[in-house]
Amino acid sequence: MDSDAPDLVCQLDNVQGMVDALTAVRWKRHQDAVIELSEHGIVLIVEDSNCLQAKVYLQRELFVRYEYGAQGRPRFGLSLGLFVDCLNTFSVPGHSSAIEIRYPGPDMQLLLKSVESLDSGIYAEMRTRIPETISWDYNFEPEWSTPLTFTVKTAALKEAIDDLEWPGASIQITLQPAPPSVTFRGDGHGDLQIDFTYYANPDLLIAFHCDRQVSHRYKYKFLRATTSNIPGSVVRDNRGSKLTIGRGGLLKVQHLVSVARTSTAHPHIDSAGYQQPSRIAYIEFFVKPEEEDTADD
Amino acid sequence: MKFKAFLTENGVSLLEKRFLPALDKMGKICHLYLTRDHAFFLHNLLNGDGIQSVAQFRKEALFDDYRISSQNGDRIAFAVDVSLLHRALRSSVSICTEFGTGATANRLQIKLVKKLPANSTQPMPFLSLETKGFKSAVIQDVPISKPLSRTHLLELQTALGLAQDLPRTLVQVPDLNQLQSFVDRMKHVGDLLSVSIAKYGDLHVQISTTLITLGAEFRKLLVVGDQAEAPAEDRNVSAQTRSSRALLRGDAQTVQVSVKHFAKSLCYHLAKPDCAFYGIAPQGACLTVIFQFFIPGSRQMDKSISLHCRLPVLDPASS
Repeated sequence: MDSDAPDLVCQLDNVQGMVDALTAVRWKRHQDAVIELSEHGIVLIVEDSNCLQAKVYLQRELFVRYEYGAQGRPRFGLSLGLFVDCLNTFSVPGHSSAIEIRYPGPDMQLLLKSVESLDSGIYAEMRTRIPETISWDYNFEPEWSTPLTFTVKTAALKEAIDDLEWPGASIQITLQPAPPSVTFRGDGHGDLQIDFTYYANPDLLIAFHCDRQVSHRYKYKFLRATTSNIPGSVVRDNRGSKLTIGRGGLLKVQHLVSVARTSTAHPHIDSAGYQQPSRIAYIEFFVKPEEEDTADD
Repeated sequence: MKFKAFLTENGVSLLEKRFLPALDKMGKICHLYLTRDHAFFLHNLLNGDGIQSVAQFRKEALFDDYRISSQNGDRIAFAVDVSLLHRALRSSVSICTEFGTGATANRLQIKLVKKLPANSTQPMPFLSLETKGFKSAVIQDVPISKPLSRTHLLELQTALGLAQDLPRTLVQVPDLNQLQSFVDRMKHVGDLLSVSIAKYGDLHVQISTTLITLGAEFRKLLVVGDQAEAPAEDRNVSAQTRSSRALLRGDAQTVQVSVKHFAKSLCYHLAKPDCAFYGIAPQGACLTVIFQFFIPGSRQMDKSISLHCRLPVLDPASS
């Protein structure tokens, strides 16, 4: 293999989709992110207080060109906020928003440039860091043979979590099989309970799998981070988010974000409202339950 | 000291719809400087920092029946709050259109007055806008500063003279809106913008911090003034290399300005100029932006209106 060849050269035809996907995991101003490159695509990982982790998967199918030349899986750190602000600069209206991403530059930078006419162009070089430690592995696995999971309209989930802001710092999520329902309950300064019942709200609660009652508490601020920056396109596309509770109460929240150009988005949507998987970025959040959890088991 | 004039219909629409909203973005307070032939709206000409902005109108572009007299060679200047003036003008216009009948009925008079404000014993100067309707008259008084003394007036006149020097090379910006949305996004990344302009028609803007370098290059722009053929060997190199080579050859100049200032200068697209040019003043004294206006329905420059601003150059060592 040519040692001078960069680890990665890829092109994306719609930078706004990438901005949307990365913004979804930007829950505070200063966040360090780790980027991992592989032959399958780009994964960006952010973490908070050892209790919350988010991953954005940008598979190679999202890119119009993806040339991977590294051995192993190169990892580097950078500031998420700066990365998003920088990418956002490339998505100026009226400008082609196709970009080329290259790593590493001569000084291990991440290099970005617009791919368009010869007469004007945007470029950026971002300093990268050596990631400090291997990020703590959240090691999500189901506790029982059948996973405890439900899928809810993303807009409804965001609204519910936003509404739970006033009661307090800790939110209890309960799944019960009979009647099949999900309950979000916050008590602190006051208490508020939000129920999604499978039979009453079939348009909101799209799927539900639960064979035993389970209940865990999560810090509100971490729960809120999972939906606080969901891009508008997710709500417009009327997508659902999948929540799964794994071993020890670890909560996984999955969102789908469209990375397709808006003008070409519709041909990909079939009658069921799903887009071709190749034009979707997957976003996963892992939230650890609070220490003194009340899992009834 | 007297000033009295009628605003023409064209003058009203120029000020109300285009210039006052733009000037308001530049700064709340400006000097209105009136001479026998011209009216100027001037920002930051007397105090050193900030963007200097000069909007100049030949009196016929705004007024008719224009009368001015003062002991300073018929020149009067005072400070006025642009947003107040804009509000007063807007409401006068709505009254005009509401009650106006015929050509003479809805004329808008503007004059300098001294009045005794409520709860005060000291008469204060105002710029008064008077609309005469069919049965009623509406007068709006916009408070202004005391007219400038002879010394200050001379200072302003000198500063205005100094602000008129032209850069040797000017490049035309193709799309102001696009440049504005680009710079608005760039603002998040850093504070200091380096701007390079080459005689080949290249405009290169870049923000560079310890963490990131972000830039944009626009090439083959229309050049006014000194120009040169772009060397063929520069064709396939990066924007940064091209800029530094042009600088070494003496074919380009570069200055550093505040990103905020740069973004502010782009707000002048609100005045709906027909084209805009960027240039660097000799010795890199400032970055000059010149906006041009065409005579409506033509490609000919309207010489009765001119608008330009000068962005102060920042010393990279001090920031």
